Amino acid sequence: MNRYFKLVNFEFNRFLKIYLVLIGITIISQIIGVIVKSNQYLNMANDQIQGGSMSSSEFINQYGPISLYEIIQTLWFLGPIALCIVSLIIYVFFIWYRDWLGKNTFVYRLFMLPTARINIYFAKATTVFLMVLGLIALQLLLLPVEAWILQWIVPFDFRIDMSIREITGIFHYFAILFPNTIVQFIIHYGIGFMAVFVVFTAILFERSYRWKGILFGIIYGVLALLLFFAPVLLQATILYEFFYPIELLVLQMITGLTVIAGSIWMSNYLLNKKIRIW
Amino acid sequence: MIEVKELTKKFGRKTVLNGVSFTAEKGQITCLIGINGVGKTTIMNAIMALTPINGGEILINGEKIHKHSYEKITFIPDAITMLPQMKISETMQFMADFYDCWNQKRADEILQFFKLREDNRLSELSKGNTAKVNLMLGLAMDVDFLLMDEPFSGIDIFSREQIADVFSSHLVEDRGVLITTHEINDIEHLIDKAVLLNNGIVSKEFNTEEIRENEGKSVVDMMREVYQG
Repeated sequence: MNRYFKLVNFEFNRFLKIYLVLIGITIISQIIGVIVKSNQYLNMANDQIQGGSMSSSEFINQYGPISLYEIIQTLWFLGPIALCIVSLIIYVFFIWYRDWLGKNTFVYRLFMLPTARINIYFAKATTVFLMVLGLIALQLLLLPVEAWILQWIVPFDFRIDMSIREITGIFHYFAILFPNTIVQFIIHYGIGFMAVFVVFTAILFERSYRWKGILFGIIYGVLALLLFFAPVLLQATILYEFFYPIELLVLQMITGLTVIAGSIWMSNYLLNKKIRIW
Repeated sequence: MIEVKELTKKFGRKTVLNGVSFTAEKGQITCLIGINGVGKTTIMNAIMALTPINGGEILINGEKIHKHSYEKITFIPDAITMLPQMKISETMQFMADFYDCWNQKRADEILQFFKLREDNRLSELSKGNTAKVNLMLGLAMDVDFLLMDEPFSGIDIFSREQIADVFSSHLVEDRGVLITTHEINDIEHLIDKAVLLNNGIVSKEFNTEEIRENEGKSVVDMMREVYQG
């Protein structure tokens, strides 16, 4: 267990610089976005009102007050989120392949550590999870700061203040990233983490059997997907509207846990019996 | 003792090792000799469970390799096994963090012997010095067996001499060493046992001193017999 935590620490530190850059880009871009969009709005208001073409109330009636709703639809806000998501998807692959690449083959050292090899798998998975949850936490912390900056720049009459819950509930994709209930959180992030386990296992298939392994990995991924969605597929085809929603949820959780358990078992087998360092 | 019994390894349809058997004992330097592609590195990897095997059995002190075996046996491949951005001090810290058998005193002694500085980054080191760090990472572990794959590969003559000196020092004595090398001249006088591989099998396995005394032949003479007919 001790070595598992050391491995997590080591893996986390290996990606820390890039992670900090992602955090930096997110903070700077989103805050600049709030400032730029707020100032654009105020400049427009000043032009219209001071130009004498309309009063404050007429302007608000015509253009509406500004809120974070307008800002979170901009590239300033969504760009860094997309960048973080893409980076973490690449990282799920990179976290394994970098150990095989280059003349300094760190994979030798990893596989010769006096610890169960599955701990390497768990450590890499934990690092990915920590990074994902860290970025989500950052975003949740940033939203009130951004709301405060908006309040600071734009006078009360010209803005609508929104709560974090209102902001995160606006868009469907936001509701995925920021679930409103603990059950939704478990479902959304459970599926995400299950996907990471499945991809890790597919990578280990490739690292064990190389070209053939790509095929095995794809087959494994498809089978995992079919198993996970089996209750929904059954409900939609053979057993039409057979399950109550709560039954479907429980079945989905069972198939999800089965996929996770299967991925861990298969990965443990591959790591101990089939993996090749070159 | 390392026991390799009837080891078979295939790459696709090609059988690289076809029932290879030999032993390497504690307190002895055993040298695996063979031309390129004969499967020397594959044997090393198989012993360390770094590649799957198609047949046979490998035992370390009578047991199949498991996670705790890595505190008893270590492998020094021909490329360094640490990250290039790491400092030498960081590589040592990593080893100390993960291995109970890490001996920092011995590591410091080896660094002094090789005249290496702890604050150097691996990416800044010459090939010779990288090989020395690699060797240090293996030698500073209190293990029963050391596996070394081509420790002299591609390094200058002075570094080779320094590394060869290590084999006759107290840093190696009492341990079992299994080594593969092309540069047999550098360590021929130090080898206790030679295992000659050819066409996927062990062509000859002999005690170098016995062959020298009884037949008046060197390891190189034996290699000529096997590889040049």
